[in-house]
Amino acid sequence: MTNLDIIMVIVRVSISAFVPLCFLAVCVTMERRVAGFIQDRSGPNRAGICGIRAGGLVQNLADGLKLAFKEDIISEHVEHKFLYVLAPIISMAAAIISFALVPFADTLVLDGKSYVMQGIPWDTGILWFLAITGFSVYGIILAGWSSTNKYSLLGALRSASQVISYEIPMGLAVISLLIVYGSINLSDIARFQGQTWLGFIPMWGILLQPLAAVIFIVAAFAECNRTPFDLAEGESELVAGFHLEYSAMKFAVFFMGEYVAMFASSAVIVTLFFGGYNIPFFDTDFLIRNIKPVAFVLLVILPVFMFYFAKWIRRNNRSQYLRENDPRKAEATIYIRCFWILIAIIEVFLLAILAFAQPDTAAAHLLVALMQICTFLIKVTLMLFVYVWVRWTIPRFRYDQLQMLGWQKLLPLALLNIFVTGAIVVALG
Amino acid sequence: MTEMIKLFVNGEEVEVESGKNLIDALEKVGIEIPHFCYHPALGADGNCRMCLVGIEDGRPPVVPACKTLAKEGMKVLLDADNIKKIQHDVMELEFINHPTDCPICDQAGECKLQDYYMKYEGTESRMWVPQVTKRKMQDFGGGVIHDQERCVACGRCVRFLRQITRTGELGLVNRGDDCRVEFFPGRPINNRYGLNVVDLCPVGALTSADFRFKQRAWFLKRAESICHGCSKGCNIMVDHNKEKYEDDIIYRLRPRQNEQVNGWFMCDEGRMTYKLENDNRLEECTLAGAVRPLADIFADAERRIERATKVLFLVSPSASLEQLAAVQALAEKTGATVSAFSDGYIVKDDGDDFLIKDDKAANRAGVDLLGIAKSRTHFDNMAKEADVFINFGNDLSRSLSEEQIGRLFSDTWVLNGATHPGQLGAVMEKKVGSSIALRSWSEYHGVVVNCDGIAQKFVGGVMKNVERPDIVEMAAGLGSPATGTAAAWALVQKKIPALAEFGGFLELPAEGVKLTDNEAGK
Amino acid sequence: MAAKVKQLPSRGGTPAEKVYLIEIFKGMAITLKHFLRNLWDNSNLYVRHYPEVQPDIPARWRGRHRLLTHPDGTPKCVACFMCQTNCPADCIMIKAGTRIDGVTEKMPVSFTIDLAECIYCGYCVEACPEDAIRMDTGIYAFTSSNREEMKIGMTEMLSLKGGFPEEEYQKGLEGE
Repeated sequence: MTNLDIIMVIVRVSISAFVPLCFLAVCVTMERRVAGFIQDRSGPNRAGICGIRAGGLVQNLADGLKLAFKEDIISEHVEHKFLYVLAPIISMAAAIISFALVPFADTLVLDGKSYVMQGIPWDTGILWFLAITGFSVYGIILAGWSSTNKYSLLGALRSASQVISYEIPMGLAVISLLIVYGSINLSDIARFQGQTWLGFIPMWGILLQPLAAVIFIVAAFAECNRTPFDLAEGESELVAGFHLEYSAMKFAVFFMGEYVAMFASSAVIVTLFFGGYNIPFFDTDFLIRNIKPVAFVLLVILPVFMFYFAKWIRRNNRSQYLRENDPRKAEATIYIRCFWILIAIIEVFLLAILAFAQPDTAAAHLLVALMQICTFLIKVTLMLFVYVWVRWTIPRFRYDQLQMLGWQKLLPLALLNIFVTGAIVVALG
Repeated sequence: MTEMIKLFVNGEEVEVESGKNLIDALEKVGIEIPHFCYHPALGADGNCRMCLVGIEDGRPPVVPACKTLAKEGMKVLLDADNIKKIQHDVMELEFINHPTDCPICDQAGECKLQDYYMKYEGTESRMWVPQVTKRKMQDFGGGVIHDQERCVACGRCVRFLRQITRTGELGLVNRGDDCRVEFFPGRPINNRYGLNVVDLCPVGALTSADFRFKQRAWFLKRAESICHGCSKGCNIMVDHNKEKYEDDIIYRLRPRQNEQVNGWFMCDEGRMTYKLENDNRLEECTLAGAVRPLADIFADAERRIERATKVLFLVSPSASLEQLAAVQALAEKTGATVSAFSDGYIVKDDGDDFLIKDDKAANRAGVDLLGIAKSRTHFDNMAKEADVFINFGNDLSRSLSEEQIGRLFSDTWVLNGATHPGQLGAVMEKKVGSSIALRSWSEYHGVVVNCDGIAQKFVGGVMKNVERPDIVEMAAGLGSPATGTAAAWALVQKKIPALAEFGGFLELPAEGVKLTDNEAGK
Repeated sequence: MAAKVKQLPSRGGTPAEKVYLIEIFKGMAITLKHFLRNLWDNSNLYVRHYPEVQPDIPARWRGRHRLLTHPDGTPKCVACFMCQTNCPADCIMIKAGTRIDGVTEKMPVSFTIDLAECIYCGYCVEACPEDAIRMDTGIYAFTSSNREEMKIGMTEMLSLKGGFPEEEYQKGLEGE
């Protein structure tokens, strides 16, 4: 193992472990702000450090601090204290490792060696995800059962039956995908989607397998316990469901686990159906070969984008009432300057690449890998937005409706999809 | 049984008792005839004209119901238009000069003017001339405060003081809108039954200085009880209330009607006994001077009783029959002696021929019925021999001085069950082995036998914040076979056969059970 | 029995509705429209920027209680307990005593309202025969870090002034 190998291992593992955690802040902020905007409210916009509110991000910090310093209560009636404490840990750990096999960039070639850009370079791919998400429900069941609380237990029972009902359509949807992609390895699947069809239509899963996409996304919502399938929590009927008895940091771990799971399943959805890390129409080889034009385009696009972004910040970051020397305007100026500095640094790098880099060198590979990571994260963020968007649009299913949808609608559709897909694949040879 | 007669009210046949006037006769069957001046104890006066009713038999078209005897076949009209108009007009007359200061009137809520206004008038005043103003807050003496403006001049108070107490302090002076109740100059109400005029007054003209502004009538909870102030056992209503964040306290005692015992009245001293129930109560149970849970005290005392050679129990002559029986049962089990020594409860020459008795114990007849010794010699002898002495709520300080108590129990282990501090004398109480704070009579149910041998039940409605045991529970805690009031009542029934027919003590009739002289031990 | 049963036509029966997804996308389009509009320009939000922007309180608003006084400064309250009797939250605690200022006979010795328990229903104001208690201070925010401070006493309530001119308050009453 060379030094480079060790560094690459550290880099890949760090990305796969810490990106989901960092995205917690994005998720929570997005959840709140999007919910606010959808309901014509503003969402959290008060908490700030020296007037810097970072669009609501500081609120998360405040809430995190609050949860960290709150009294951690374990009720006296909890008999199995070990299992009670273990439950949120399972939930969180399962959520983090379920992301481990998702590729966030194409295989990186450095010094003639290729590095698969996954947390764990392993071939099990989508099966790993199915297995781990199935495992994460143990956290919920354990929490509900060990809380010795009827609401919690009901929430756990619902969660268990929901997972059983929705794992089957999910698995079947994946089977039809595998027939198309011919591999369970998520890197292969992502690379497959980098191709184009007829030269201009990207061969994304959503276009090849629309029905499987719908089924998988619906089932993924159910696996994540998100509205409209959040019956395990069901605050209007079960108070808070499985995490009713949890407080402070143990509750926070559940909470974070939910968002990490959401991130992981978004990542899988993106990889399976939305081309993964691929930049539409430009596959990895093309980008590496044409690194200079790519850098040039970026060089031009970024400042233009930043110009409009700054305008947007100016427009929206001001007090909506009469106020002398509006401090929010000053705050907006700070944000815009910071972003311009960031853009300037990136521009310098791009200029350097434009000036010195040759196609198919390490620098080119790295730049493309970075671009793909960014693309991947943007796609995941959009998918996360869909999660949030759905949550604040659709009301919760009734329990019988939930089971009806799972068994009577999704399951037959998924089976039908397999047969049709199989027939077409066989027919096309 | 009284003879029943049939008559017609508004055309409907009703059966009522004979020999009564229309107001009383119809009230028994639930038909109300409004009246101010008539009171069963004071007789008909006929001055208020509120009770005018129509009789359909050729006599004067309207007659005062209070002065008309119910007769067979009588056709009484209550809802005729002219009767309604009379009631309306009488009410309007009463209200001409009434100040309508209900917000500050203590009678509000139990005021006949208020009730009748709602029922029989309900219109606004037609008067435009200024109201006649009279004296307010006039001290009538004896704890009675008079408001001349509210008075309807029914004369109940005047008649009570003339007919019942025969002191005649009050009189109606002047006529028309200047008519008012006054006392003779320099001679305010000064007798031991004066506060009864407050209950008699149908409106808020006479109010009690003691109860004044303490509570509104509608907040008060009522408990039907028996006065424990003397052996007469007057029937009373305990008006108590627990305000938010406060203790449940009694605000006043009112007489309750019982023809056999006290009629409609009670004495002023009896009324004031509620203060003893509220104030200066013993709150803590101690063992060797330290506050301890009740169970520890019981366990300790039980052990001492077992080891002792001679145990003496002292019961209170005011304790209920159940409590006495429970202590007796305990004594039988442990071989202890029970005494009800209470000479100090008898105050010589304090009683009169009406309601007040010399004997200030509520259940001395019950003590005799259960055969509990109460002589001084018996008590002295036993106290000298005893090495464990247990007091069940007897106020020994009434009978003996502090030195006498101290001498008797100088080397005796004492368990003092008491409602108030000082019942064994301040010195002795510092030396007692342990003490138990007991419930008082307003907080438990039971049966007591009065001086005339009438067994009466009483209900304790007061729920104090501090949980205390009553004597039955204390005896049970010390090992008495009577583990609860029901078991104790069964023991009472064994000893007093006349009570055997009543399943529980609550089944006793409201007017009490007259025990024969034989059973009453006379 | 069936008199009160109202049969409504059942929705969701058409094939297009049974597919769910079309209806769901319709709903999501609505929320997305709102989201994008507000993301583009957040000046249209239906949000009052409290505490910088204070709401307009109408005269009929039931805010914190105050006790009124006669022109000579003596409290109008005569401790009739009507408010305490009517209070559904049982939050008014009055102790009555003999009046010392000669206006009538009775006055409150202490008059406490536990604002932590008050539900601001205004029954006390309606019940008062003396117009001695009103909820017209216009104070709607009241916070404290402990329960004892949430109890306001007589002196405090007497010292509060009405938040509106008398005519406006009376006009508000007419509407009731």
